[in-house]
Amino acid sequence: MNYLKSSVVCFVIAGLFMGTAQAAQSPQEILAASDVVRNPDYPFGLTNTLIEYRAGKQTDTSTLSIYSKADPNSGQFRSLIRYVAPARDANKLILFSGKDLWFYDPSSKASIRMSPQQRLLGQASNGDVVTVNLAKDYQAVSAVEEDTQDGDRQTKHCNKLSMNASTPDATYHHIDMWIEVGNNHPVKAKFYTESGKLLKTAYYRRYEKQLGIDRPTETVIIDGLDPTWVTVMRYSNLVRREVPDQWLQRDYLPRFKPE
Amino acid sequence: MRRKPSVFKPGICALMGLLAMNVYARQDPDLDALKVADQMPATVEQPSNWRLFIEAGAGVNRARLGGASQQFQRLSLDLQYDNSFAPGWRAVLSDRLDVSWPPQATGLSRDINTIKEAYLSWQVQTDQILDLGRINARNGVALGYNPTDYFRTSALRSVVSVDPASLKENRQGSIMLRGQKLWNGGSLTALYSPKLADERNYSSFSPDVAATNGQDRWLLTLSQQVMDGITPQLLLYKAEKQPVQIGLNLTALLNDSTVVFAEWSGGRSQSSFTQAMRQIGITYPDDSAFRNHSATGLTYTTSNRISLTAELEYNGGGLDQEKWNNLGQASLQSYGIYRRFLQGVQETPAKRTVFVYASRQDALINHLDLAAMSRYDMADSSRMSWMEARYHLKHTEFALQWQRNSGKSLSNYGAAPQMQSWQLLARYYF
Repeated sequence: MNYLKSSVVCFVIAGLFMGTAQAAQSPQEILAASDVVRNPDYPFGLTNTLIEYRAGKQTDTSTLSIYSKADPNSGQFRSLIRYVAPARDANKLILFSGKDLWFYDPSSKASIRMSPQQRLLGQASNGDVVTVNLAKDYQAVSAVEEDTQDGDRQTKHCNKLSMNASTPDATYHHIDMWIEVGNNHPVKAKFYTESGKLLKTAYYRRYEKQLGIDRPTETVIIDGLDPTWVTVMRYSNLVRREVPDQWLQRDYLPRFKPE
Repeated sequence: MRRKPSVFKPGICALMGLLAMNVYARQDPDLDALKVADQMPATVEQPSNWRLFIEAGAGVNRARLGGASQQFQRLSLDLQYDNSFAPGWRAVLSDRLDVSWPPQATGLSRDINTIKEAYLSWQVQTDQILDLGRINARNGVALGYNPTDYFRTSALRSVVSVDPASLKENRQGSIMLRGQKLWNGGSLTALYSPKLADERNYSSFSPDVAATNGQDRWLLTLSQQVMDGITPQLLLYKAEKQPVQIGLNLTALLNDSTVVFAEWSGGRSQSSFTQAMRQIGITYPDDSAFRNHSATGLTYTTSNRISLTAELEYNGGGLDQEKWNNLGQASLQSYGIYRRFLQGVQETPAKRTVFVYASRQDALINHLDLAAMSRYDMADSSRMSWMEARYHLKHTEFALQWQRNSGKSLSNYGAAPQMQSWQLLARYYF
């Protein structure tokens, strides 16, 4: 009986501490913690396979090799993206460094500067494809606990974060994001325009142990206007690798050839 | 009477629950979308060192004089090989064979092979690279006219389309030694391309070394980020027996949908007309002066993904409006010599041109890309227009191209032998 009592007391104390710890975590800290789940905090490379479906049928596919490194000044990731497939796009490169976007075609040797509006990958915007630390571009203004269905149709107890763009580099005006309580796993997010129109919904799913922790290996993007327009991004070959700063500039694009 | 409801209550509740779930499922389209996403296959494409495609084209030209139509056919084979065969080492080969019926121009062979690139690259360290071999060294940020693209001279052996991208893609590189030093936010590139041959060789499979290595040339290129989003590129170019030319490339983001660009090259040089006359041995007074060449413009992308580029082009080596408009009447021979020279150096005969380009991916239907282009010569009011519809599948592409040249008979575009042409293309990637 004493043992039972002390166990209950321990649970209560532990619960109080956990509650205190969670209460101490601000919405912005929850957001930052979920960024760490999605993105390693060191340079890395991965393969992103994108498949687009319309009305249930596969309509497009591309495979990208992505090399990312955080900029020590802004904290935001800079990325080099190389097309692997389809064949007509193979070896084309895109450099993302903040709003500095360059497209390089190895056939014409032309480096073309692009605006953020110039999407390259169908429904997936540039901000969806490259690694982004949301906590650097958005301010989470509230966190409300609620249950939601995740991408595998399981109920997850989440913090629903409401966040607003805080820098001009932010792709979206406003985002609602559900982050699982206890492990800060991003579960889903809804992206809105300034007028409040839903642009897209993203589900972060198929969690697997990658580089030491459980990370989502798939993002499902559903169009806000046409929910039968679905883009799936699957991540594979995630490895820690050096990405020298010198590579992340236009003049290096013609020379980029990963082993 | 009171018991009856209690018997059916759990069933009714369950039914209502099921109905509610069903309604929820119907109302939540995400569930259907996630089911679709579950179909995604697990295979992952691997990078390839090879890219090979075959392209077949057929079309019809309508001649300006007489309006007769002439059919033409073309078959092209394009190969790229790019392999990191050892740590730090890279081998690049790029070759294209065009077979045309009839030949592209009178006196040209039906088969034209272009060795675009063949070089070895050694990455000494992450920030130092050396290259040796035939390299397509290209510079410039403008879309239609690139005055800092110094190595474009005599680089075209075969022209299969007037699309600027095609002209940049299907050209011969120069044999050179090139070194690059990189640092965070900048780089310095130095290259030397020696004179290796005197006589051009137009035969089908000739490497035609004299075309792009007919004189000693060097180029220094310095890039340095000066503020967030602004990285000017400064160039110094020297060709044998020619004064040094200075170049500048600059781009900036005006807003989320607009990029502005400016490209400039200047230095002392003779006018293109004088160079043309002297090249074939005609004595002509030296008119060397500081001449500017520039291309400035912007690219605007609409919210529905239409990209529009407008560019003002200035060729300071071209003839003044009046001289150009009178040249054909004054001397047809001089006119012909001048036009042939301009084809080689890829310059316009007069000074000012307006260039517009529009493109849209997935236009009207998925996988259909549309592009349209127009060049307007401000000196003689002639115009060249071009449009393309390209439909692509995983390995195959189909394209329909249309081109029209209009203007007075000896104007820039009005002098083209074809008034209009249509071409249908099919390309297959292996």
